[in-house]
Formats: sequence, C-alpha cells, structure tokens
Amino acid sequence: MAEDYITDGMLETFLYESSQLLEKLQELVLENQDEDYFDDGAINEIFRIMHTIKGSSGIMMYDNITKATHRLEDVFFCLRESHPPVDHEKLCELVLEVGDFVTGQLDKIQEGGEPDGDEKPIVEKVSDFLTKIKENIAGKSDKAAVKAGEILLAPPVPEVDEESASSDEPQKYYIAPVATSDSKFYHIKITYCQDTLMSNIRAYTAVFSLKEIAEDLMYIPEDIITNESSHDVIMKDGFAIALQCKESKEKVIELIDHLAGVEKIDINEVDSNEFLAGFVPEEVIEQREAEAQVPQEEKENYVIEKPKAVKKPAKAAPKDLQSYISVNIKKMDVLMDLIGELVIAEAVVLQNPDLKVPGLELANFNKAAAQLTKITGDLQDGIMRIRMIPLANTFQKMKRIVYDTSHKLGKDIELEMIGEETEVDKNIIEHISDPIMHLIRNSVDHGIEEKEDRIKNHKPEKGKITIEAKNDGDKVCIIVSDDGKGLNPDALLDKAEKNGLLTKAREAYTEKEAFNLITLPGFSTKEQVTELSGRGVGMDVVVKNIQEINGTLEIDSVQGHGSTMTIKIPLTLAIIKGIVMKVASTTFVVSTNSVKEFLQLREQTLHKQPDGGEFIMIRGDSYPVIRLKERFGMKDTPDSENAILAFIEHEDKHACILVDELLGEQEIVIKALPDYMKKVKGISGCTQLGDGSIGLIIDPGVII
Amino acid sequence: MRILIAEDDFASRKFMMRFLQKYGECDVTVDGMEAVDAFLMALEAGEGYDLVCLDIMMPELDGYQALKAIRDIEKEKGIPTDKQSKIIMTTALNEGRNVTKAFELGCVAYAGKPIDQEKFESVLKKLGLLEEE
Amino acid sequence: MSDMEDQDKMEAPVQDSNKQKDRFMTFKCGDEYYGIAISYVEEITTIQSITEVPQMEPFVKGLINLRGKIVPVIDVRIRFGKEPIPYNDRTCIMILKVKDTLIGLIIDTISEVVNIPAEEIVSPPKGEKGNGADRFVYGIGKVDGQVKLLIKPETLIFDSPEEESEEEICE
Repeated sequence: MAEDYITDGMLETFLYESSQLLEKLQELVLENQDEDYFDDGAINEIFRIMHTIKGSSGIMMYDNITKATHRLEDVFFCLRESHPPVDHEKLCELVLEVGDFVTGQLDKIQEGGEPDGDEKPIVEKVSDFLTKIKENIAGKSDKAAVKAGEILLAPPVPEVDEESASSDEPQKYYIAPVATSDSKFYHIKITYCQDTLMSNIRAYTAVFSLKEIAEDLMYIPEDIITNESSHDVIMKDGFAIALQCKESKEKVIELIDHLAGVEKIDINEVDSNEFLAGFVPEEVIEQREAEAQVPQEEKENYVIEKPKAVKKPAKAAPKDLQSYISVNIKKMDVLMDLIGELVIAEAVVLQNPDLKVPGLELANFNKAAAQLTKITGDLQDGIMRIRMIPLANTFQKMKRIVYDTSHKLGKDIELEMIGEETEVDKNIIEHISDPIMHLIRNSVDHGIEEKEDRIKNHKPEKGKITIEAKNDGDKVCIIVSDDGKGLNPDALLDKAEKNGLLTKAREAYTEKEAFNLITLPGFSTKEQVTELSGRGVGMDVVVKNIQEINGTLEIDSVQGHGSTMTIKIPLTLAIIKGIVMKVASTTFVVSTNSVKEFLQLREQTLHKQPDGGEFIMIRGDSYPVIRLKERFGMKDTPDSENAILAFIEHEDKHACILVDELLGEQEIVIKALPDYMKKVKGISGCTQLGDGSIGLIIDPGVII
Repeated sequence: MRILIAEDDFASRKFMMRFLQKYGECDVTVDGMEAVDAFLMALEAGEGYDLVCLDIMMPELDGYQALKAIRDIEKEKGIPTDKQSKIIMTTALNEGRNVTKAFELGCVAYAGKPIDQEKFESVLKKLGLLEEE
Repeated sequence: MSDMEDQDKMEAPVQDSNKQKDRFMTFKCGDEYYGIAISYVEEITTIQSITEVPQMEPFVKGLINLRGKIVPVIDVRIRFGKEPIPYNDRTCIMILKVKDTLIGLIIDTISEVVNIPAEEIVSPPKGEKGNGADRFVYGIGKVDGQVKLLIKPETLIFDSPEEESEEEICE
C-alpha cells in the first residue's frame, strides 16, 4: 500500500493537511458555482488556502506546486483588494484546475514518486486571467463599477499584514530523506549463545556491519558501547534492531550471521508503521497522532473594505466546530477486535458452569454482573460509533461528478443532497462510493434529457438529481432519483428479448421485473458507448458491489418523469443480541430482533398442507412452519418433548421455526463463515458461544 | 565556501565530508561542544563559516543546543541576520515537532537522513551559497 | 540459527525460506505416508470438538474454535475416499494456511518432518485417477527407503471432486 512507504512525519503531515485544504477548496467552488461571484468570505478562504499550500510546499521543496498556488494566490489577492469584475464561471474552472493539478502532484508523492508535473501551462492560464483582470481595473472599469453598483474599486493597498503574497520571512526548507518505495523495514532480534562474553560489543559489531546498508537504524539497548551492563540486558532479552534498508532479508542475515556467538537470529519484515512503533515509547506515538491534525492558523485580520450587500442569507455554521483527531484505521480495527473478545469473555464469565452450583448466593454477583453488562454494552456502542462516518464526504464527491459530467454533456443539472449527516460504518463507505457514482453518472448521461427535450415536455430546463440517505430500522437507505425521462418497460423488454435475456414469457414480466432487466450483464439500451457510462457494463457491476456488502438495489421509474434507485445496506452490526437454540447437536443463533414470540410445540396443533408443508394458526392467521432439521438436511431425530416454535419476522414475512431446545439469549459477535465454506443457504455467519462452542447464525430472510 | 560539519557517527561523517567537499573547504567536528568551539574560533580569526551542518543526536551538546549557542554567539557579536551562517540540521528524526523546534531555534533547513543530495544542492543554490548554473 | 524441530505445536517459521523448501510434514493415513510442504503448516493441534455445518460436502466435517479463530476442518480419510474411522486421542488436526485461508486437516497419525531434496521426488505413475488419494498426489518422495506421497494443499482443499455422491448444495 502506498502509505506504507511514508515513514516521514513531516511529509505525512504535509500531505494530510494539503489534501484537507484542497477538499475544502473544491467544496467552496462547487457551493458557489451558481452564484455570480465569490463573496468576501469565499475569496478570503481561497486566498488563505493557496497561501498555506504555497508556503508548505515551499518548505517541502515541491516547486511546481509552489508556483501554481502562488499564481492563483496572486489572483485572489487582487480580488480581495480590488474586487474587479470577473468571469465567475471561468474563475471557478481555473480554481478547480489548479486544485486538480496540486492533487495530482500530491498523489504522486503519496505513491512514493516525484511530483514532476509541469506547472507552466496552468501557471500561464492563471497569469493570463490575472492580466485580464488587472486590465479591467486599469482601463474601462469605472463604467463597469457604476453599472454593477455594488462593486467598489480601491487602488491596490500595499500589504500590511502577514498574508502578503510575498512574505518577508526567510524561506525555510525541509529536505525529505530518500526513503524510496524500495526501502524495506525489518525487526531483528539477535540471541547470543549462553556463554558469550561481552555481547554488547558483539552487538555493536552487528550494528556497525549494518550501517553500511542502513537507511535508518535503531536498536535496544542503546548504550552498548558505554554501558557494560547492557551485556546482561542483551543476554536476557536479546538484542533488538529496527532496520530500514533496500537490501533483502538474506543480505541482512548475511551481514550479521557470521559473527561469533550468535545463537539465533529472528528477522521479520514489517511495514513502516510497525518499524516506527517498535522502538518509540508509547507517548511519543500519541503525540505524533495529535500532530497529524495541526489546527489551521486563522488570521482574522482582513479589512472588509466595503458594505457589500450579501447575496446569500447568512449560512448557519455548517458543522459545529467540533475538534477532530485523525486515527490510524489499524488502531480502530484492533479496538473492534478487542471489544468482540470482551463480549465473548463476558459471556464466558457470566455463563460459567462454576456458577451453576446449586445453593450459591448470587444476589451481589448478579448486581455486579448487570453493571458489567451495561458498561460493556455502552463500550460496544461507543466503539461502533467511532467507526461510523457521515456520508457527507461521499456526497460531496458526487457534487463534483455532477459538475464535471453535466458540463461535458452540455446539460444543466442541479444536485440536491438530503440526509448527508447519516452515518455509516467506514467499511461500507468504501464499497458504496462506486455504485452511487455510477448511478449518478447514469442519471446524468441517460436519465436527464437534453435541454430542448425538457422544454418540449414542459419540464424545467435545469435537470434535478436528488441523493438522499436515511436510516431505516437496521438498514441505511441511499436513494438516487432524477426527474429525467425515466425507464420504458416495453423498450427494456424489447432489448432483453433481442439479446435473448428473457427467462419467461414477455407478458409474465411485471413492471418492476422489467426495470430489473437493466441489471443483467450485457444489457444496454444505449446504441453508442458514451465515455461516461459505457455500454451495459455499469448496472450489473453496481449490483454486484452492493451485494458484496449484503445490500439490495431497487429500481423504480415513471416513464417521462424520472427514475429512482434505492440502495439498502445493513449497518454493520458486528455484535448483536441473539437467541441461542439447539437443533439436534448443532447450536443455532437468531438475532433477537427477528424473534417475536415463542410457543411450546406440544401445546400447538400443526396442520399439514397438501404439498407436505406444515402451518400453524396464531391468533387467526396462518404461518408456515419450518423444521430446521429438515431444511438443513440434518439427521432426522425425533422432536424433543420440549421442542419450541420460534415465531420469526423478516421485513413483512413471518414464519415459525421448529427447534429442539432454547438455550437462552446471548450477545454474540458475528464472525463471517470462513470463505472456504460455500455460502450455505440460510446461514449468514457464525459465532463463538459462552461455552466455547460454535453457533451458526441463521439468516431469517433466506429461511422464510 | 567554508563549511563546518558536526557529526558524531564516523560513517555519516565520512559521507558528509565526501558529499560537501565539492562545494568548499570542510572542517569536521565530532560533537556539539567541539562544533561551537570551532565556530567561535573561526569567527574570531575572521574566517567565519558560511554553512554549518549539525547532526541533532550528538554527545556533549546536542544539535539544538549547538544551534542555539551558535546563534547566541552571532547575536552577541552583532552579526546582522543576512550575514549569519546558514545552518542545516541533519538527522534521522523526521518528526514535525523536531523540525519546528529546529526552525524556531534558527536553522534554515532540515535534512532528513539519508540525505537527498539533489535536493540538498538545490537548497544550497536557493540559499545563495552556490551559484545557479 | 536454530533448525526446525518437530514438535507438537510449531509456529510459522521465521527463518529464511531457503531452508524450508525441501522440508515436508508427513502424516499417516491408512497404510500410506503423505507429505505436505512445511511452508503451509501453521500448527498441529489435538482433536477437539467440531461443530457440524449443514449442507457441506461429506469431507468437510465442520468448524473448530482455534483460540478464537473459527477454522473449517476436513477429514482427510473421507477426502481420500477411504472409510472414516472414529477419532481417538492420537488423531490430530493439522492447521494449514493456503492462500490466506486457514484450514484444518484431520489426520490419523502425525509423523515427522523430513527433508526431501528435489532430486528425490518423482512424478506419480500415470494411471487412471480414481476417486482416491491419487488425484491429489503430485509427486512421490523417497526418504530412507520409504515412500511419501506428496500433496499440494490447494488441490486437496479447493479442487472440487470430479464425481460426488451428493449434489453440492450451493446457492
């Protein structure tokens, strides 16, 4: 992975901070693209962003980024001081172009390469733009000012505050070390034979040999030359070395292996994080994390030169100014695993057979246990929440996509976002971006009609695409809808027929089924492949991606009015409350949410249907009865006397499942079934139960 | 150009010397104390160093302390900012807070080891120590 | 550097791979000795309780709980088309890591680690490959006058058998 190769704190910080700024930059532009000009707030912010990136890229010695941002900074400096009339659309394009250029260079650096992009074309473009603006100011601007009314002209004020385009401070430089992606990282431990003398000297020899090839080298104990007692430490704990070099493991071993007294060499290749973590005391690591989020210095001393009437109503501060820290995902994963283990361990304690001794007074214990359960429950919730990220970021990306694609196609389209604060597990976000992107591209490309068509059909010229996110029980719904031309079921059926994709008689297809035809591989009603959406490669891949995270896609449409695509994904509930049941010798678990009621078999009457199925009457309604033993092809054993019927519900379907015994309710940690096991129908995962045995988790949706 | 190198590790010292010899006359010291002494001596002899490369991890006086001492000496002698020696810290420590600290104490560049020779040379040019070709 | 010892529980080797190339973990199944390249072997553990999973092939006995990890296990006898025998305290589970997947093999008797250099390995006789173990054997190694049938775990685990008495139930 690219990030593995960046061991440089400075570089990491630079990349992180700059990319945050560039994201903000893009947001600003897209928010303001439909306005007539950037207001003061936006101008100042864009200026600040360019200034900051210019400075930091200067320190890091990335000249092309410095030059590009410097030029744009000049433009916004001019805007700030003189407020000349500008071609707003052109300006927006320019800013995005500069942003894209810098982002491209940052990507190269991130991947361990050199930012060697040529900044000259973009610098020239910006320079031309700047020249034009300045001409406007110098020349005929007075008339323009009078016309616009609100635009005042002030002669360029000589810079007083530190935000000047040219700083007085002497430039500082940071020369990043040459760790390239060829660098490897190793943790080495040398164990010396029992009777070795002066192991500290031998250790020093080893270090010395490695220095030849080392790009970075750390070892413990450190004072091997000066401190004789380091010999004892080395004999006891071994001599530990963390090494960064380009050489292979074999070469490293070669360099230290021939030294006398060496009993054993353990050498592991690690990644850069582990390399750094190996010898750095814990508190320093925390510091480093905190460092990664360096608060932006806000210099609030701008002179607002004129009483400009604000066009937009004052925007409510978009997000509360909460402070954030960025955390390495690996740490999150460790935490998630630990909480899973904690839940299991809690179960092992609370359900311990030792407690089942009759006659034990457990009142105090139970009270304490209840408290423990509550706290672990809260801890669980808290940790799950940490991994949840609002969809806002993903939605923002979509804004850019709509901007780019609609401009490319010459369509005027507005994107409305609803519910972007809805949160979703990080894992899911990564899988959901692509499908959403594709759906939006489809809407832009195939959904929204050309301007003329829209006008002909009495639709507003501006097309509208809405993306909405909301919680629905234990699922998250993401809905992409447009007011375009919608889907024509007949046309879809025609195309499917032509491609031999119909699986039943045409007439037997409901409208919904006809819509779903577009998700079949190799289907496309567009005669030409457009650069954007391609031919039929889209929808089936979208559906596959969604299914990978256990989601579903529903398609709805009204011809002439638009289409709606609904993605439903389950929240990752890695830990759920489950009812544990026994069927023959196997233990099964069903999520408590799905179980509505329990009935004793012996008190019920099971009715038989002609096809062999059984059903039961509950309060006047009939429900199917499913014998798990049968359903899973397990050995047929007689029903136990205590057999239980669990009345389960899934969405709007209900049924009763017959099990031999009810073992209780437990919090279970959902573990995926090993990949190797082909997905067994009806089992969605497995878990480790309180007594160490394995339970199979039933998927009600499939069973019913 | 007169260059002062302060580096306690033998191998690194050799490297720095080999690398910097092509730019000017190099004097080498093995710890912070020696470096400050050498700096003072040169100043008093009227042959101040144009460029000082300080390792951070050094015995006696570490790089930061040496840096501060050198800047104090220059201040005390009334040397104007633009005539002060250019000081570059060289080290394997690349953490942000080390770099900031070094900049605050008055160095002009911070080079992480292993040193990127091309970039180093480019900085020397930007600092006006080398002529642009 | 320490050599690989045969122990009941072996950790994944840390030493450089050259020394491992010719080493095989051998085990007995029926009357034959089989060998698997040591690089696949994660550990060997005694038989423990197995949770059946419905609708799997007969040779997939189910799942075991390996210190918190849930690992599927295969009965090698059944896979080789032999009659299964009841498990006793000599039965072991050999945990293999194949392409990032952990799988356990239930084995009658574990044997030793042997060194079989490439020159001592010959191809198996070309004959009809029935349902038995022959399908999985890629080579025959000779050690101390004995013959070890060498197996590639991938074939053993992922290759679906040519004929099956039951239809595979998959979605």
